[in-house]
Amino acid sequence: MTSSALAFEARAFVSGEPELIARVVAGDRSAARELYDAHAPRVFRLAFRLTGDNELARELTQETFIRAFAQLGRFRGDSALSTWLHRVTVSVVSNGMRKVKRFRARETDLDEAGTVPAQNRDGDPDMRDKLYRAIDELPEIYRTTLVMHDVEGYTHEEIANVLGVAEGTCKSRLSVARAQLRQKLAPFAKEWLE
Amino acid sequence: MTHDDRLPEAMRTAARGYNTPPELTGADLDEMWSAIEAGAFEAPPQSARGAAAAAARRWVTMRNVLPIAAVLLVGVAIGRFTARGAASQAPAAARVAASDSLALPEPYQTTTSRYLGQTAALLATLPAEARAGQANDQLLASAHDLLLTTRLLLDSPAASDPRIRTLLDDLELVLAQIVRLQTDDGRSELELIRMALEQRDVIPRLRTAVADISADD
Repeated sequence: MTSSALAFEARAFVSGEPELIARVVAGDRSAARELYDAHAPRVFRLAFRLTGDNELARELTQETFIRAFAQLGRFRGDSALSTWLHRVTVSVVSNGMRKVKRFRARETDLDEAGTVPAQNRDGDPDMRDKLYRAIDELPEIYRTTLVMHDVEGYTHEEIANVLGVAEGTCKSRLSVARAQLRQKLAPFAKEWLE
Repeated sequence: MTHDDRLPEAMRTAARGYNTPPELTGADLDEMWSAIEAGAFEAPPQSARGAAAAAARRWVTMRNVLPIAAVLLVGVAIGRFTARGAASQAPAAARVAASDSLALPEPYQTTTSRYLGQTAALLATLPAEARAGQANDQLLASAHDLLLTTRLLLDSPAASDPRIRTLLDDLELVLAQIVRLQTDDGRSELELIRMALEQRDVIPRLRTAVADISADD
């Protein structure tokens, strides 16, 4: 995906959004459902990309919307609603993943990767798994940036807005993430180039 | 950053299959919506005045509790550190408590100790800042630097000890909240802090930690 991931949504939905937000803040459930229908697939998609777990991604999507509706009255429109919503998503996912990691670390002596294993990993089992494991093992800030940019197709500007960092920081994190991936996969570099 | 640091084409293509999400059906959306509706709209009713008063009480409570909680967290870690050094000279009974001390890799002990001291000092100034109504630029800059250090430590072997990792996780959260004070209005910030404290059970854990320290003494 090369074009902006959020831009399409923003264009498609922005026209009636302020009124819709006002209705949600006033307690109108049908307006909330409309807003949910417009954004939930994308929120779930990001949550799944970051967690790799269907049930967890669903729970975090629900938590994102519950939190978003509770705080919607404070949304000042400085950014697009989709950007704000994705900011909430990343925050909720980050907290959720930490809880899961802590729980799993306490309960079992799981694999050193310390991340939630993905469910849908088909295709070339060898090279893909090596790549996916390498992505799993990236520190959170780098993994989030890489997943949003290289996997989901967000622009640097969008990622910077969602994560609340400068665009330069975002570019730098992506560069570090790619360098770490290259380093981890260096023994198989030839195979990737073939 | 530049085209030079892009991944090889085959790797970029494969990466797009990382954690490929399933398509949500209408039934999936409905199911999630039911949970959201229950969580967001079916909370016990509360009058506007009651809600405002509750929010104000939380504000006052959190304004007082957060810095104290954070300082106590740091104090617990420092206490664990010092217990380790004192263990060799302590009587046998005390050595049992010291055996529970933190096990950090040698090169990280000084850095982590200094970082915890600086964080404790910064958090100690928070009550005054909160009374003044806003944090000053120097405090925000220090919090930002300490937040970066926290994240570096979290990604380092210093976080291999589960207790120091947990503490660093919580300090990262507290420092992130302080850093955000410059951009957010106080109320939304407090709501985030309140939720974070609830989600992480910080207060019950603090009580337990303080009780443990008292028992060690």
